[in-house]
Amino acid sequence: MIENNAMLVLAIPIAILIPLSVAFLINAEIRGWRFFRSVFFLPTAVSWVVIGFISVRFFADDGILQHLLNGVGLGSIHPNMLSHERTALIAVMITFIWSMFGTNLIIFLAGMATIDGEIYDAAKVDGAGSWTVMMKITVPLLKRFIQFSAIITLITAFTALFSLIFVMTGGGPGYGTTTLEFFIYEQGFSTGDFGLASTAGVLLFVAVGIVSLIQVRLLRAED
Amino acid sequence: MSSVELGRRVRRHGSRTLIYVVLGVLTVVMLYPFYYMAFNGFRSLDQYYAGSGFSLTSWRGLFQALPVGQELLNSTVITLSAIGLILAVSTTAGYAFAVLRYRFSRLVFLVIIAAMMVPIQSIIAPEFVNLAKVGFINHRYGAILVYAALGAPFATFLMSVYFRRIPEDVIEAALIDGLGYGKIFFRILLPLAVPAMFAIGVLQFIQIWDDLLVGLLFLQTPDVRPITVGLATIPSQHLLDVPLLMAGSLISALPAVIVYLVFQRSLISGLTMGMSK
Repeated sequence: MIENNAMLVLAIPIAILIPLSVAFLINAEIRGWRFFRSVFFLPTAVSWVVIGFISVRFFADDGILQHLLNGVGLGSIHPNMLSHERTALIAVMITFIWSMFGTNLIIFLAGMATIDGEIYDAAKVDGAGSWTVMMKITVPLLKRFIQFSAIITLITAFTALFSLIFVMTGGGPGYGTTTLEFFIYEQGFSTGDFGLASTAGVLLFVAVGIVSLIQVRLLRAED
Repeated sequence: MSSVELGRRVRRHGSRTLIYVVLGVLTVVMLYPFYYMAFNGFRSLDQYYAGSGFSLTSWRGLFQALPVGQELLNSTVITLSAIGLILAVSTTAGYAFAVLRYRFSRLVFLVIIAAMMVPIQSIIAPEFVNLAKVGFINHRYGAILVYAALGAPFATFLMSVYFRRIPEDVIEAALIDGLGYGKIFFRILLPLAVPAMFAIGVLQFIQIWDDLLVGLLFLQTPDVRPITVGLATIPSQHLLDVPLLMAGSLISALPAVIVYLVFQRSLISGLTMGMSK
């Protein structure tokens, strides 16, 4: 169970890096960026229950993923991700990354809007390439926003995936996708052990608090 | 045009095309699930397997499997009432923290900020026991209170940030003109706060409409259940009926998606407002 939470942590860097790179693309004054922003942010408006139902159809043995594999001639591979403990968790993580994309993108776009354009012009005059500008100027100036998105992503992973797991896997197979928050629900409301559920609740609060603190400290230490 | 300049232009053009290709692929990845839901919701089970044709069979099945009308009504009542409570609490409290400083107001404010950090799962078991003791389970007002309590801290934080931006001169001038603090709130600050209230309202609408956990635990009987809960607990014989599930997903997602599309600006400004602090 704690192990599953640790796995979820692994999804966080991916859930940040993808929208961060796309934010760089959109920030390059692309026409119609508002349209893309609306599209990418859309999953935020849709409940985890609905996302879960669709996601089940994607990862199911006869689902969209399998059709895609068949289509590119890899039909011999049957990932059937939802019926194995590890892959079921990975399926949950992929769905999570997909739905966090828009939120983190908005955070990074808001961050980039705070950066003064003159600094880019100055860098260009000094002959800095776009890669250098990105790594030496944009990323350091976005640090506060990256930190914020890391915390939001972590809190979402630990405390907002209940409904997704409820619909996608019900915590299974086995305990494959039973995270701490799902465990609280199971103990309290299926087994009826409110004491254990409350204890696990305190543990969850402490876990979220500690990881947030560590992240803030790590990013501070780099200053 | 020199050849160097031409080369640069071609390269820039190329990279721009590449950006659009990447964004296009991402658009497909982000939108395909919704396309899948919308199309298959309008198919019968046979048409779903055949992959062609459209009908309303699954909608009829959905309305037989779930009391859709009642559940949509429940969702609406619960969401709007909770938003009303949250706005009433957060505007008045935000005003108090931003304008009327009093003893310990910083401390109380910090406690409220701390309350934002507590995950709902951590308090859900004792919360359930407490509400059960006073007989609030399976009543819509019970869930409304829980949602309002969950949403109020963040909303209060946003409102106080917003009110702090209003220059003190405005309030001082009003005081000199003989307005009381109550009138200042209703006549001056509240009208100014409409954009912030919209942002909070939209944010909360999506959050409460889409929530499962609170409804699942606190509203267990079908007559008070919101649509999201009804869908998530659909009797298991329907779970293999993909078109029926997609029809249900579609109708439960639609209100929040419409709110999102119409009030997108408010939503994004609300999110970024909370971030800038």
